[in-house]
Amino acid sequence: MAETDATGNTLGDAASSAGTVALDHHEGTAVLRVEGALDLALAPKLRQLAERAARLEPAVLVIDLTGVTFLASAGMAELVRAHRGRTVSAPLRVVATGRITLRPLELTRLTDELAIYPSLAEALAAG
Amino acid sequence: MTTPEFDDLLDAVRRAFVDASGTPVPTEVRLLDAAEARAVLGDRVAVAVTDPAVLADLVPDRGTTAAVAVAGDDRSALVHTTGEVTGAPSAVAAAVEAATAHLAATVRRLRGEAAVLDALHSTGRELTAQLDIDRIVQDATDAATKATGAEFGAFFYNLVDELGESYTLYTISGVPRETFERFPMPRNTDVFSPTFDGAGTVRSPDITKDPRFGRNAPYHGMPAGHLPVCSYLAVSVISPTSEDVLGGFFFGHSEPDRFTPRHEYLAEGIAAYSAIALDNARLYERERTLASELSRSMLPVAPPTPGLDVVTRYLPAVTGSKVGGDWFDVIALPSGATAFVIGDVVGHGVTAATVMGQVRTAIRCYALLELPPSEVLRNVSALTGGLFGESFVTCFYAVHRADEGTLTYANAGHLPAILVRPDGGPEQIGEALAQPLGVGSRFPQRSTGFPPGADLVLYTDGLVESRTRDLTLGVQWLLAGIPAVLAAADLGTAWDKLVAELTLGRHDDDIALIHVRHRGEDPA
Repeated sequence: MAETDATGNTLGDAASSAGTVALDHHEGTAVLRVEGALDLALAPKLRQLAERAARLEPAVLVIDLTGVTFLASAGMAELVRAHRGRTVSAPLRVVATGRITLRPLELTRLTDELAIYPSLAEALAAG
Repeated sequence: MTTPEFDDLLDAVRRAFVDASGTPVPTEVRLLDAAEARAVLGDRVAVAVTDPAVLADLVPDRGTTAAVAVAGDDRSALVHTTGEVTGAPSAVAAAVEAATAHLAATVRRLRGEAAVLDALHSTGRELTAQLDIDRIVQDATDAATKATGAEFGAFFYNLVDELGESYTLYTISGVPRETFERFPMPRNTDVFSPTFDGAGTVRSPDITKDPRFGRNAPYHGMPAGHLPVCSYLAVSVISPTSEDVLGGFFFGHSEPDRFTPRHEYLAEGIAAYSAIALDNARLYERERTLASELSRSMLPVAPPTPGLDVVTRYLPAVTGSKVGGDWFDVIALPSGATAFVIGDVVGHGVTAATVMGQVRTAIRCYALLELPPSEVLRNVSALTGGLFGESFVTCFYAVHRADEGTLTYANAGHLPAILVRPDGGPEQIGEALAQPLGVGSRFPQRSTGFPPGADLVLYTDGLVESRTRDLTLGVQWLLAGIPAVLAAADLGTAWDKLVAELTLGRHDDDIALIHVRHRGEDPA
């Protein structure tokens, strides 16, 4: 079942740990805060909210992975989409640090093209 | 009855406590708890309590001369006195009861209806949120047996196995399953056939007196030792999509006339919800099986590889419908070299499985042209991006040339491989060389020696990664398990053991694995 509820839980998979994506937009900056496992179950939610964020035409889009407990390739595919997909309207900044989120981005060399910051504050402060 | 109304009622009852001259006598009020109210009042609104034993329990050692119990919505009370009273209190109790009995009965009936609807609704919600057939059928049987007040209930349902053969299973509620284990499955007798044919509900006050009963050999009724069934209710479970009869609910009671039209309504409601839940579960299972079958059917049979022992594993995800993205391949190249491929397509289900099939074929084509690894991956990445739009496929591609004793490899965003040189420990090779296929455009290649006695392990993330264990730790565990695999007499068995240990027997993602051992004693 790919169908997910508001929290991104799959109906069919009891083992699915709750993951959430929240969109915060003000003063031209859109921040998507992801919590929990960013995997196949939560990836569609991230895509949906990234597209919604793009429609707000922010100057900068930040995807904050600080609260992510598991970054699967489905999640990384969404980062690539938000970075270079057709609906992209603003430069993307990704907040990732440590072996949970930064390590998978290094192994796939997405660090070569994504602008990665160790904290939300630094991502917001970057010029 | 609201609180002020209840106080008014209490006042009215207290005013009825008068002596022969009509003068009020002093009374006291004692609240009754729920159990006391049930015992004294039952379903009534007001009653004169005259039983000395009951009075002695409620108001001990008081010499009570008269008492009336009254019930409100949320509380009940006993008005009692030790004074000399006339018969008026009991008359008042009788009058209150007469005036309100009809109303109380209506309220009770409506409450009963609401409870029935609540029960049906919550059963339906629980059933239709399930995808596990075993749980659906047991929960449905339990709920329906309870709702109909049956002594026992059973649900016989039909499933179709992978060969298309239909078979019947059942669940039991109300009595232990052993009670029925000695008996054969119900056959299409005159009593059972309307249910299995979907011809409508059968409800009988006494099935043994039904003209359809006892007409079929060999039992002509119930087999010896069967629980006695008098009241009988049976409801078909019919798929709302295919209109096939999925099974039937059967309820029994040893006393006659136990099942009412309301029970029938409830059982039919639960049967309808069960049908939806079973349909969902079947469709879900079909999708899962389809993706898994598709992935399996596209897996290669490893060709003969002279001088090399090759162990491969493909384990589709056991939980959820996440099957479909992982693959491996072993390709004998025209030059005599052997290519080893392992990869993972993001996504799940049939879509991921079909993308995987095409990517695998593309890699095979370029591999057979004997393009160097970096060129194979560059071409496939360009092709993948064009074919599937935004795609994300990780892949490790390695070519072993026995004549040169070398391994040349490139890695598109996949996990590093594990190389064990003769007399060396496990080391990781090809880490973070390039971006995934469909994302990257440059795929640098590396070369290393792969002499006789060396081992190579390629694997997908399902082996090392889960929601509860990050990649770094998972890879450490895998590396720690490698020496035992290398030392084992049988590589296949050793891998099965290590996979089970690493995944705790429960992998919620696909796992693909290739282990190549350069045996070296055969001439290449």
